[in-house]
Amino acid sequence: MLPVIANDDQHNLHAGPTADVVATNSTSSMSHGKVAARFSFKTILSGASPRDPATLDNEDQSQHYTFFPLALGQILRQYAVTELHLTLNAGNWNYDRWGYPQENGVGTGAELWAWMGEGDIKSVDERWRGLRNALAGLFCASLGSLDELRTTSPEQSFVPEGSLPNWETSHKVRHASLPSEHVCTENLTPFLKLLPCKSQSGIASLLNPHRLFDADWHGMGVHVLWREEEGVELRLTFQAVFDPLRSGSVKKQDWSLQSLFDRNIHRSCPVARTSQVVSTLPTDVAYSISPEPSSIEGNVAIFDVKSLVKPLDIKMEWANSFSYPLQYHPDSVPFSVKRTLRGSSQAWGQLSVVITNYRPSAVHALYLEIMPWLLQFLVHTLEAQVDGTVRDGIISNLTYVAPVPHSRPTTFQVLLTLPPQSTVHLTMDVTKAFLRYTEHPPDAQRGWDLPPAIFTPLELGMNNSAAALVKEGRIYTSALLVDLATPDFSMPYNVIIFTCSVIAFIFGNVFNLLTRRFVVVRLEDKKS
Amino acid sequence: MRKWEIRKSKKEEVKETLQELEMSPATYQQAAKQNSTTKDDALALPPSLRDPKKLFFQSDWIRRSIIAAYWAVILLALPIWWYTTSIERLALPTRRVHQVAENRLELPITVCVDSHQPFVEDVRRRLSVRIAAEPDRWKGLVVEVRGDSNCNNLREQAYVVSPAASEPATIRNRQIFLPLHKPNSSQRVVDTLASLLSPYTAASNREHRVTQYSPRYRLAFSLLNEDAAAGDAYLAWKVLVGLKAHINPITRRLSALHNFTIESQVQYHAPLAFSPVQMDDSYGITPEDLTVFVNSAEWTLCRLPSFWTPSISSAFLLPQWGGIVIHNPDSQTGGTTELPLQNLHEVFTIFANQLLALLGVPTLPPEVVNMDTSVDLSDWQLDALIRRRTLENVHESQDTLLSIVKLVDQIEDMPVGEDVRGDIEDALEALNKVNILSGHSHCTSAHLKLGL
Repeated sequence: MLPVIANDDQHNLHAGPTADVVATNSTSSMSHGKVAARFSFKTILSGASPRDPATLDNEDQSQHYTFFPLALGQILRQYAVTELHLTLNAGNWNYDRWGYPQENGVGTGAELWAWMGEGDIKSVDERWRGLRNALAGLFCASLGSLDELRTTSPEQSFVPEGSLPNWETSHKVRHASLPSEHVCTENLTPFLKLLPCKSQSGIASLLNPHRLFDADWHGMGVHVLWREEEGVELRLTFQAVFDPLRSGSVKKQDWSLQSLFDRNIHRSCPVARTSQVVSTLPTDVAYSISPEPSSIEGNVAIFDVKSLVKPLDIKMEWANSFSYPLQYHPDSVPFSVKRTLRGSSQAWGQLSVVITNYRPSAVHALYLEIMPWLLQFLVHTLEAQVDGTVRDGIISNLTYVAPVPHSRPTTFQVLLTLPPQSTVHLTMDVTKAFLRYTEHPPDAQRGWDLPPAIFTPLELGMNNSAAALVKEGRIYTSALLVDLATPDFSMPYNVIIFTCSVIAFIFGNVFNLLTRRFVVVRLEDKKS
Repeated sequence: MRKWEIRKSKKEEVKETLQELEMSPATYQQAAKQNSTTKDDALALPPSLRDPKKLFFQSDWIRRSIIAAYWAVILLALPIWWYTTSIERLALPTRRVHQVAENRLELPITVCVDSHQPFVEDVRRRLSVRIAAEPDRWKGLVVEVRGDSNCNNLREQAYVVSPAASEPATIRNRQIFLPLHKPNSSQRVVDTLASLLSPYTAASNREHRVTQYSPRYRLAFSLLNEDAAAGDAYLAWKVLVGLKAHINPITRRLSALHNFTIESQVQYHAPLAFSPVQMDDSYGITPEDLTVFVNSAEWTLCRLPSFWTPSISSAFLLPQWGGIVIHNPDSQTGGTTELPLQNLHEVFTIFANQLLALLGVPTLPPEVVNMDTSVDLSDWQLDALIRRRTLENVHESQDTLLSIVKLVDQIEDMPVGEDVRGDIEDALEALNKVNILSGHSHCTSAHLKLGL
């Protein structure tokens, strides 16, 4: 996989809180012929700090933005959000073939998590509700349905990426995901409007919805965090995995900006501080790249968009045609995970997770399941097998927050110790909920999407204590589909018809008896 | 003949039957007994059923009670049906609303003229003539002119007209200095007072331009470049400097009336939805283009404008919404990426004027000079604005209350809940307070925010 990174870096011309924009586009060809592209636009509001929820009652200070989008700034100030991560992805990131993504939020569907300070004036949950509704409006996505049924606070797996201000009150995380949400053009348009140069100039002009949403995998992300020494950082990202082999008769993995995005960079964004396209170069095959990169660092070619001749179309060509490798050896991912839901019953089933550790050393990972109450775990049936035999010591530090039917989801977290070069089978029995008639979604027969499980590789501290440090980013499994007992939705009509018949029958009989008078009629005997 | 025969035979038949019936009662009973015993043996009927009159459901009482049960269910269900299908419709204080709506608010204005009695009389007479001539303009205002050799005692409650040696007329706080010794002075005093105390004439077309009253306004200042990538763009501006010099004095002064949230942004790609018309050596925008000047699809501004009034200059006002200043760079700005300070001040001066116009702040008459340089808006202007807003809000509240009462009367199925009644009670309360407080001449203290 060859990553292409686009960076647009904007600089600031202002006194007071200032901003900074960096735009990068990175592409890389992957070992199976795919091209991974990542766009990253970073804006720094220097000197700014998040709003303290204790000041929500007071008049907010005036906000003056140059590069930072006003629409997003208003939301962040209104709900006093310290750190915010929103990702909207379509498809399932294939860690085994594509390796580790450059932006680690690749869970299928929508995922929103935020760190907020506690406040007396408005509680965290109140602001969380407002935040997701405001973001739903801003990005035209159904984030409003990330409600209490899906909200949890998994503090260990979702550690803040920036720093948290040292206020009198503590900070709380809120996380919710919606695997059935699908990213589309209507989400990209408001996303582009948050960029200082929109899609008019610079690297962002490559963001062509026709091509992006045609890619094998695509997803966008909005990340706001606070760095104590710099200020509030906004990072807008877009990732996509293209398949150059899909079109074209020749089996070659050649790509160019024109072939991937159907666009070139015609002019650079005037307010970007740095704006570069970064391309990973293959190591052991013959290739050609044009135009001449501005600089090459290791096996990475860097193109400075501001100084290169426009229109800029970066081309990469291979000398030989492509042949699919027989085996994939992703080095960047410590282990591979397969999660399935077994059993054909609509009442119970078995959750099965197969984790294979490729590394020669034991790996520790946090395994987090955030499950809507639709699926309830029978934790006592949790069992770990290593290569077919049950073994102790695989599972430790179990945290379990039981679900509350019709409201709270389950939070289930364990620390796994994966033995070197072996496969761990985790199984756990689950029961499937019986829903109320009104709780079924439209198209209820399709089933319910369950959010992906999240694995966080850990480097344990000296004494195997909770002082664990996140080594690499999160790994998302694929989403699941669960088939719950679904009623026959024509039932109300049957009931109405049946009841009417019964009432008519009873009334008819009673009426009959009431309006008749019974008398004995003597029949004559013939003989008399 | 034949007919008769048939008749005869029928008659005979009838006779036979009659004969049969004329059996003695004893034989009848016997026959019946024989009959029943044979039947009982065959069907084994319970004794109660032998006589149908004794069947339990044949009794009238049971039949009546069954029918009564049906009616009982229907009658018992009626109140439930009534309760579940009726709408909550509380009685509104209609009489009080009508009473309050008829109550025209009058704000007293006391003017003290520091001069001799005949001159004061003259001013009083001329002013009353003026008020009678324009009743709409002076609606709700009651002007009282006093003559007092020592007006300074009244300074807290009255506007003071003091003599001055020469032109021009100057104002300081709520005091005006006018030359009073000239022959035409009394007319001059009345003219000036009229334009200061009630500056809103019908001709100023104020209703269409001024925004509706709101206790909070969000002011967003945007620097828009059509296409920053094409070059010669202003990538930044010292917005804080402009705000501090031109906007903040206004917002501070108006803080009794409104709260302001000020924001600013810069946009680098804000294309027009049309191309300007090229003239000799300049570009023009036609009135048709002006209607689509704000490209709401591409410019991420706050709200959509409703309608337009074109103007001649490069700046124009969007009624009740905002103002736009088109800045034409003087020459090719070689390398300057920031809006020059001088231009910034020019632009913000226009912004400040547009803001004043949108908020409905009256301008001082040209012949009057504000001596108090520490404030941009004189007390006279602020008082006139507050008076205007108070009258407007009271009038609107009365109108709204009346129309709510009328609407509820008209639509009989309209639910009226506790909250609606509570809101109306609150509004009536607030209107009463206004009436009580309106006795003061200086409105700043009497100003009340009304909301429905």
